[in-house]
Amino acid sequence: MNAGMTKFAASTSYYFRNYYRSRSFYLMLAMSLLVSGLMMFFTLRYVNSLTGFLPNLNLTSLSMPTKESVFGFLWSYVLLYLPVFSSVFFGSSAISSEIENRTAFHIFALPISRSSLLISKYLAAVMVTVVISMIYILMQAATFIYVFQIPLISGFFYSVALLIIFIFSMTAFTFMLSSIFNKNTYAYISVFLIYFLIFTAYQFIAELLYKTTPFYLLDNAAGIIEKVYVNISLSPFNFNFSLNPVGFGEIAQSVLVMAIYAIVSMAVSLIIFERKEVR
Amino acid sequence: MPSICLNGITKRFGSVTALDAVSFTIDGPGCVGILGPNGAGKTTMLKILTNIVKPSKGIATLDGISVSEYPERALARVGALVEQPEFYPYLTAREILSFVVKIKMVKDEKEEIRRVSELTSIGGYLDRKAGELSRGMKQRLGLAVALVGDPDIIILDEPTFGLDPSGMKRIRDIIKEINARKNKIIILSTHLIYEAQEVCDRIIIVNKGKIGYDLNNHTSDHVKIELESTGGAVDFPKQIANQWKADGNVIYLQKAEGAKNSEIIDYCRKNGLEVKWVTPYNDIESIYVSLTK
Repeated sequence: MNAGMTKFAASTSYYFRNYYRSRSFYLMLAMSLLVSGLMMFFTLRYVNSLTGFLPNLNLTSLSMPTKESVFGFLWSYVLLYLPVFSSVFFGSSAISSEIENRTAFHIFALPISRSSLLISKYLAAVMVTVVISMIYILMQAATFIYVFQIPLISGFFYSVALLIIFIFSMTAFTFMLSSIFNKNTYAYISVFLIYFLIFTAYQFIAELLYKTTPFYLLDNAAGIIEKVYVNISLSPFNFNFSLNPVGFGEIAQSVLVMAIYAIVSMAVSLIIFERKEVR
Repeated sequence: MPSICLNGITKRFGSVTALDAVSFTIDGPGCVGILGPNGAGKTTMLKILTNIVKPSKGIATLDGISVSEYPERALARVGALVEQPEFYPYLTAREILSFVVKIKMVKDEKEEIRRVSELTSIGGYLDRKAGELSRGMKQRLGLAVALVGDPDIIILDEPTFGLDPSGMKRIRDIIKEINARKNKIIILSTHLIYEAQEVCDRIIIVNKGKIGYDLNNHTSDHVKIELESTGGAVDFPKQIANQWKADGNVIYLQKAEGAKNSEIIDYCRKNGLEVKWVTPYNDIESIYVSLTK
């Protein structure tokens, strides 16, 4: 391994260690266990009364693969919040904390490039978010195998792969906002405001006034994680209900949007971090 | 031989000029004290040398390598403790040292951690998390981090800040011990005059972003010229003085090599200044006070 790679591996490992020992990690772990436990309880309790929740279809019962897909959709719908919160916890303060907590005085003076430091921290944040999400995913897989007594459907694997892409882009997005601020609080608030308020408000306006869904928003692209099971849109102005999964075109489009968010956000973060000064 | 060079360094933060065209060179081993009041620009100078901030103008080099252009290469043989150090709170002191050992590509990790922890007396709390360490412990860990890899250049920014008297003495003793080997450049920023006098070979007094005075702590090429009355401005030629600072009816002056006191007196008289006394002078405190008042 060359010198650059050795330094990069060392910093990734140390950032990962610092993340998984943090209070934020244990909080997210508890949330993941709690939410997946609740989902398991509801799955076991309501597995045979699913049609009651789907009045639009006027069905008396669901066939086995459809039932599995609808449950897959519901599990993924809830899952989406985990990587979002996790990225907010680990990503929003990633760069601002180096300034606010003054660790930058220690790391900036070391003979390692700032881009190595940033990318290794980014990878560490992605890894902890994947760990937290995987606990939920494993609970989901175990519940499905137990309830439906069949191997996992292909939609499950598509959903997990897309989830990992989403984690990369969401974490990069939070890193970008974190690089703009020198205070953790501002970074946290900005991520929440942009993701939960500005994106949602923009989507409402676009759907209400222009009858179009802004596919280029990150939260919309992330919806693909649940739509690979069944194509249900829960937006009040653009309600869509189909028991078929989305097609390849929509998957490719969402992957592209998420990849663009990841690349652009990381590029901006790198540019800002490279010029960052600690007064 | 390690070297440090600051050439015309200016640093502005918005409308505030923290450093104004600062230049100096350190081209051999020894301990150089950067002395100045709070806000004088000492820390900014060290931050530029460690790539924590970039200069608005000028160039800073370590061993001839530009810090802002090639920071990784320039900092390869540098150990730094800048401001009061903070570390990742969930990593132990041992893990932090191990991280720095890997970044500095030191071969025998265990031996290096043992060496620096023994030198800084932190062996007793190597397995405690950084977030649980006291101010003094963190300061010593910061010093241990700076010493990893036995660097040629050690940059220490107020290393005794916030320590109790015995902790301060321990750190000063460590610095003196390292300086005694005479194979490294140590830059020590402090606002404690006695600390600079005790530890440093050369003292640079900084005030309002400029170098006020640069003196050798051990030799007496400095003189204090007391005048009969407050004189006007005198511009001493290079053959007589390297630097000087007038303060009322007193002029602090560093003689040029070979310059005699009689030449100084004659020159003053020629310029209308009646000299009362010329005495050898090494009272940093008076120079410091006259510069910073």
